[in-house]
Amino acid sequence: MEERPGTADRSSAERSGARERAGAERSGVQERSGNIGRPTGTKLRRHTGSPRPSRNGCFGRLPVRVRLGIILRSMWERPGGRFALVIMVLWLAVSVVSLAWTPYPLLFTDGDHAWASPTAAHPLGTDGVGADVLSWLMAGSRTDLAIAVLTVLVSAVIGLALTAAMVSNRRWLATSGVVVVDALIAIPTVLLALLFAVPFGASVAVIVAACGITYGLNMARIVRPTASLAARSAYVEAARASGVGMWRVFFRHIVPSTFPVLAVQLSMSAGTSILAEAGLTYLGVGVPSSVPSWGHSLTTSVRLISVYPLTVLWPGLVVTLVVTALYLLGDAIRDCADPLANPRLRQAAGGRALVRVGSLAGRGAGRVTDAMHDEEAES
Amino acid sequence: MVQSNGAHGMSDATETDTTAQATARQERGEENQQPRVAADASTNVSTDASLNAHAKQRKSGRKPIIWVIAALVIVALVACCAIVQTHARKAATPTASESIAIGIKLAPVSLDIRNQSGSALEQLLIGNVYEALVSRNSNNEVEPGLAKSWTISDDGLTYTFKLNTHMRFSNGDTLDATDVAWSINQLKAKQYYNSDQVENLKQASAPDATTVKLTLSKPDANMLWYLSGRPGLVFDKDARYDAKTTAIGSGPYLVKSFDSSSKLVLQANPNYWGSAHKARTNTVTVRFLPDDNAAFNALTSGDVQVLSPVNANMTGKLKSSGKYTVKATDGSDKFVLAFNCTGAKTSDKRVRQAIRYAINHKEIIASRGGVDAALGGPIPSVDPGYEDLTGLYPYNPTKAKELMRQAGYSTSHPLKLTLTYANVYGSELGEQLRSQLSRIGIDLSVNTVEFSTWLQDVHANGDYDLSLVDHAESHDFYKWTQPDYYYHYDNPQVQALYGKALAATNDKDSARYLKQAARMVSEDAPADWLFAYRVSVAQVKGVTGFPSRLTQSVLPLWKVAYTPVTA
Repeated sequence: MEERPGTADRSSAERSGARERAGAERSGVQERSGNIGRPTGTKLRRHTGSPRPSRNGCFGRLPVRVRLGIILRSMWERPGGRFALVIMVLWLAVSVVSLAWTPYPLLFTDGDHAWASPTAAHPLGTDGVGADVLSWLMAGSRTDLAIAVLTVLVSAVIGLALTAAMVSNRRWLATSGVVVVDALIAIPTVLLALLFAVPFGASVAVIVAACGITYGLNMARIVRPTASLAARSAYVEAARASGVGMWRVFFRHIVPSTFPVLAVQLSMSAGTSILAEAGLTYLGVGVPSSVPSWGHSLTTSVRLISVYPLTVLWPGLVVTLVVTALYLLGDAIRDCADPLANPRLRQAAGGRALVRVGSLAGRGAGRVTDAMHDEEAES
Repeated sequence: MVQSNGAHGMSDATETDTTAQATARQERGEENQQPRVAADASTNVSTDASLNAHAKQRKSGRKPIIWVIAALVIVALVACCAIVQTHARKAATPTASESIAIGIKLAPVSLDIRNQSGSALEQLLIGNVYEALVSRNSNNEVEPGLAKSWTISDDGLTYTFKLNTHMRFSNGDTLDATDVAWSINQLKAKQYYNSDQVENLKQASAPDATTVKLTLSKPDANMLWYLSGRPGLVFDKDARYDAKTTAIGSGPYLVKSFDSSSKLVLQANPNYWGSAHKARTNTVTVRFLPDDNAAFNALTSGDVQVLSPVNANMTGKLKSSGKYTVKATDGSDKFVLAFNCTGAKTSDKRVRQAIRYAINHKEIIASRGGVDAALGGPIPSVDPGYEDLTGLYPYNPTKAKELMRQAGYSTSHPLKLTLTYANVYGSELGEQLRSQLSRIGIDLSVNTVEFSTWLQDVHANGDYDLSLVDHAESHDFYKWTQPDYYYHYDNPQVQALYGKALAATNDKDSARYLKQAARMVSEDAPADWLFAYRVSVAQVKGVTGFPSRLTQSVLPLWKVAYTPVTA
């Protein structure tokens, strides 16, 4: 019984969670007031070590593989998610393949057939030095994949560190965190990249650093309201009161509650980093000239766009497809990996819980599933 | 297509009058077309109004009358307009336009030709705004300029110039021998830009108002040619002006306005002293269009009538449209892939030779549009001493590999080299070289940098393996005789030959020595000459008199005229 929160408690927590996502201060207040009536309930949960009563109470216990399966299946059923998944898989596959094989070696040039139209030998034509456009785009996909992944990592680290500072209960740290973010957020990515490129020269690291820092700041700024809401919630206060460490509270309770915002922000970072790579490479502060990337392909072909518009189409198309897919991926992850938004996750978890809880208290479990069905109908 | 070039002043004037009227009429005609469109719209409204009128019957009596009147007025206007237009067409004979716009690539930073480097300055100002003691024709030969004749003493140490008479600067001041001597002595005293070209010049003096005497410290066969460039420019010693933004010279054009980010506007000099080079077009606007696509669009949209240079890969579309003539012009631009002769890896002659054998010049030229010329040595075809040296190092990968093997490298054990060049030349050349050299066991990393960085690292400090730059100057062979220049090429035989060429008092001997020296340089392989860049010039049909050679170094515009082709 201790492992299962009371029915009323659970649904109220879910409701408050849903409002949290809307970002309403009100819900926090409501949760606090709601919990005032049941202080013992909260405390009980803490003692049992259940990780996330408000959201993951039923979610944390699902095996990773099952959870992943459900998430992917849900994503696949949404048109946007399916598009994103297909493009992501293709992107990964092409990147891996390009490590071992491209139709032509990257060093291949043939000046006699520069700016050729698509033919059987060169499906996407050739560029200004007679190199195969397809080969360069394939090889470029791995550079851009690396840039996107690294940017997401760097911006996540910076963003979460700043968020942690801003929602800290040390007042000076929180205030200075807010000031720092507000001040630095004004620096544009391009300017930062130019600043880095002067001493270090054009490189992938410059793109990742510039994007990582600016997107991290953006993310911190956007995540902060949700995170501070969670930080002031009763369960966090309770966790702190029961002696849970600062970092554990942050990563177990605050970060997961910001998951929807995080998913969208990070996928935006990934998508925008691809655009930034193209733009910065065009400006000459992105990837160096011999490294294949989509920005490189765009830059070399855009020089003669008024005569050979077709050559610039291919890298443009690839960038557009991938960036759109990344943006949609974020939305899909938010909708499908969040048990509040995805009833299937709750169902699966609920079903499992039902078996276990049912043997202990059939009545309560029955009402849990009822409440879930209600919400499913709503959504 | 009739062109009048001021030969008959009166007829010219009447012709311009009729043109003015014609254009005025045409303008009116065009304006009249707008009311016509408006009328169409108002007829549409009238249907609505009449529908409305049915609903509100009170006003129905007045409205149609208004519309009938409006329609009558419009019909009358259209008729007038049509009549005027047919008249205008009868009256209009094709006449030279009062203005022309020219697009070039690089903008000068300022107009201060005595201190500011950059070939765009020479290209735009010499012969147009400023004039030199002697001038240069399209064959890169010296011909009379401010001086109408000259004699050179037998020892080659004294030059006596006879100046034209009644010469004036654009501000009205007279130009005589004292201005010439002052300008040249100032050049030496203040070490103005390019004063090093006339190192052997000791002093200038003005015995009388039309005679200038130059004394040299030793004979210099290039002296006259250099005097047709910056060192020979004549400035008004009494004028005070800001040389960075304006210019007072004696040329056929005045600087009307200058903005280094967009354009230079030249206006015909009403006080021009001569008749031979009198400007044929009143206003010449030179637009600076560094971006190829923007330049192309400027030409096709009619913003400029001439584009020099136009990217050779773009000319196919222009030619096929039938509205433009495109031709490639010879010049002195040499794309030099220099090998650091004292560098750790490139001091080995076998490596340098291997690189020259490994480069497929034909392919590089083809990818650039196929108009550039192969060049095997340091002297371009427009300079004295030119010889086709492309046979010295023909494309031969087998030989290149063999030389690399002798030097101790192979494709499995490649030699690592870095190519440093300015990003203004695009990434294509670097990529092609990387690809071609990889086949013989050279792992070339390409480092494209800002031009200023190249100037600092390579040109000034000589710190590089391989460097690529467009040496646009003519008569610049002397760089190969200076061991401290960034080539770091030091061959006493070449230096001796060049000394002989300078000392030679007749052009033929001078050219012969230069030819020998150039061959020697090319054999030593201190660099590879990728190609001689031939500038493609595109112009709208109806443009005449635009220079057809050496457009990158001298661009005399007095002859340029534009007669719009009327359909």
